[in-house]
Amino acid sequence: MAASTYSPSQGAERRQRQQQMRRLSIQSDWDRSDGRSFIQCRPAFLRTGAANAASGSAYAEFGTTKVIVSVFGPRESKKAMMYSDIGRLNCNVTFTTFATSLRGQGSDNKEYSAMLHKALEGAVILETFPKTTVDVFALVLESGGSDLPVIISCASLALADAGIMMYDLVSSVSVSCIGKNILIDPTNEEEVCQDGSLVLACMPARNEVTQLTLTGEWSLPKINEAMELCMDACLKLAGIMRSCLKESANLSN
Amino acid sequence: METTTIGGGEGATGMAAHMEVEAFRRLFPLPFYDRHLSKSVRPDARTLDSARETTISLGPVASADGSALVKIGETTMLAAIKLEVMTPSTESSDEGSIAVEFYMPPICSPMVRPGRPAEVAPVISQQLSDVIMSSRMVNLKELCLISGKASWIAYLDVYCLNADGSLFDAALLSAVAAFTHLQIPLVSVNEEGRVFTVSGEQQEKTKLELVNKEKRKLSIGNTPFPVTCVIHKEHIVVDPTAEEEAIMETSITIVLDTLGNLVSIYKPGGVGLASTATIKECISRTKRRMQDLKIILEEAVSVMEVD
Amino acid sequence: MGKMEDRIDGRNANQLRPLACSRNLLHRAHGSARWSQGNTIVLAAVYGPKAGTKKGENPEKASFEVIWKPKTGQIGKQEREYEMILKRTLQSICLLNVHPNTTTSIIVQVVGDDGSLLPCAINASCAALVDAGIPMKNLAVAISCGLMEEGSIILDLTKSEEEKLKAFAYLVFPNSPLTVIPKVPLSKEQPIEQGIITSVTRGAMPVSGYFDCMNRGVAACAAISEFLRRSLQKQSSDDTSRAA
Repeated sequence: MAASTYSPSQGAERRQRQQQMRRLSIQSDWDRSDGRSFIQCRPAFLRTGAANAASGSAYAEFGTTKVIVSVFGPRESKKAMMYSDIGRLNCNVTFTTFATSLRGQGSDNKEYSAMLHKALEGAVILETFPKTTVDVFALVLESGGSDLPVIISCASLALADAGIMMYDLVSSVSVSCIGKNILIDPTNEEEVCQDGSLVLACMPARNEVTQLTLTGEWSLPKINEAMELCMDACLKLAGIMRSCLKESANLSN
Repeated sequence: METTTIGGGEGATGMAAHMEVEAFRRLFPLPFYDRHLSKSVRPDARTLDSARETTISLGPVASADGSALVKIGETTMLAAIKLEVMTPSTESSDEGSIAVEFYMPPICSPMVRPGRPAEVAPVISQQLSDVIMSSRMVNLKELCLISGKASWIAYLDVYCLNADGSLFDAALLSAVAAFTHLQIPLVSVNEEGRVFTVSGEQQEKTKLELVNKEKRKLSIGNTPFPVTCVIHKEHIVVDPTAEEEAIMETSITIVLDTLGNLVSIYKPGGVGLASTATIKECISRTKRRMQDLKIILEEAVSVMEVD
Repeated sequence: MGKMEDRIDGRNANQLRPLACSRNLLHRAHGSARWSQGNTIVLAAVYGPKAGTKKGENPEKASFEVIWKPKTGQIGKQEREYEMILKRTLQSICLLNVHPNTTTSIIVQVVGDDGSLLPCAINASCAALVDAGIPMKNLAVAISCGLMEEGSIILDLTKSEEEKLKAFAYLVFPNSPLTVIPKVPLSKEQPIEQGIITSVTRGAMPVSGYFDCMNRGVAACAAISEFLRRSLQKQSSDDTSRAA
């Protein structure tokens, strides 16, 4: 097999677009490439029961970000595991080779796997399935930005579909800080030129945050503003998730 | 025998009777299927020679050059092709190549877990690449850009999103559909001999010399269509589910192309033998199914064109 | 047979390469065999039956595992496929109810590859299973059949023939109609033919070409089967005389 192959699309075009984005970011007012306002999320499409081999599953689509999550169990823990009074939550996130514009390896994403675990752990009532394991497996079909929040929301929907007991649904939204502006639900292009990002996962009905990740340069008032924006969006997203679950429950009746 | 008395509840209604049937199915899967097959019907109400509902949608993955999502019953496959540029080998300087990989991520089945990959994944991967090469569906010369200098390598990646039997059939169908959908990007070459993509507006502005103005779509020749059958005693069961494959262990996969040639007869062992008569019967089922699949694929293509 | 010396190595279309089979070569293994067809040579070793089955196997039956060792380099997709085909082929000829909840390992070492590698490995494994005394219903005999452009068929392909031919098939047949279980329905028009255990094809061919391959394959397998039987009988009589 040929030793070196390359994708022809990583040319000047992309670089040009990024430079343009950079220039824009210095100004205070500009248009997002998909025509959204700064505080508008991409249209979300959610559906449960995407894969029947699993105990529960969900598919989520935010713009071009497409994620499928299957939940297996509660089932027997690995043989090597010690006895435990509470159940275990095992999370794994994989990207397809064609998820990104450059062909990837299709391997596990350890960082996202750990983050997903942390985001869900607080919401799942682990006491309800002692000794056993619930596996949450996510596959990112296409990565279009804000991947982790989409994975988290989709996973919590899949857990609900599988009938795993939770305190509340976990919904998650991220924002990017670009120059003076805060952009909600950023796309890949916007994420590339962000100064800082904030990912928030929460249980809106309980008004509890399960995970907050802050990277890059932020000022304190900005953080407050961003968090409030996220909490508000999470509440709305949870509403959509809930109606999606109701719909599938009605269908099965 | 004890099993027959348990099975007596089959025709009865009500919750208790339903539970008994489910228990019978779990405890005595083989007699359960035998009784169904003797009445020429399957647990999902299909006849023995009918396949599950099959759908094809083209272009679900925007980041790929060609893609397709195929569902056969609950078995779901997502195939995507990404084109990259390579230097062709000296013995086939005017040909491109195809690299096929089949993945079974842990989401597709309770049997697959991270770190413990499915045993069948490399087998289906090999089978796919053999059949695609055997059928000569893609003329590798069409993947050539500049003879001896640059040609396309098509990375075909097929993901199983849900595994419920007849995996190879769904995988091959999705691969065929993805090649049908494949759009080759417009490219040009710079001074260093590197190939790069050209967008429409750029082309008008700079008047770059384009390498492949005409060759934007592959001319898919004779398309291969597969059918897997399970052979159980004297019965031939078309398009088995995962449960049917596990219980009745002998399966045979036949691939025919649109010209009526035999691309593959694949029977990897199994308890039962396949006689000439059985094979002929399977081939005739494949011919029938091929007509249906052809129409489904054509419809998927026409839906794309309307959009 | 008409045309003589129509192949590079001077064989005619129906002629097989010289066969050789020797058993009981390895002392640690419970059974072993070396099978060669011309320059394609495979050494198979059988260990077991050992207690227990692997996860995912049916514990009510005897299970098999096949480990393929290529001549050089690492095991790839092609070898994985061969492992699976070998395993399921051997499952079909062994009596799985005699030793339930056991695993028998077959290690296949490729010594030389000059075409027809999978058939050669199947023949070698089969002889090794006999050597190990694993209970079997019947033997399996494997052959490769190549389809020439004009439709004629050549048997037992070399590597260069496999590369040149438009299409070929690896077929595996049960060795003798006497040993086949009565439950299998016999097709009426061909009472001798039992059907195939395994079929793997490469390249597109007309449907009739495949059945031609099958017919020729059955005839050739009868010859290989005869050779295998003679070789097994000779060595087993050697064994008994040695024991005496």
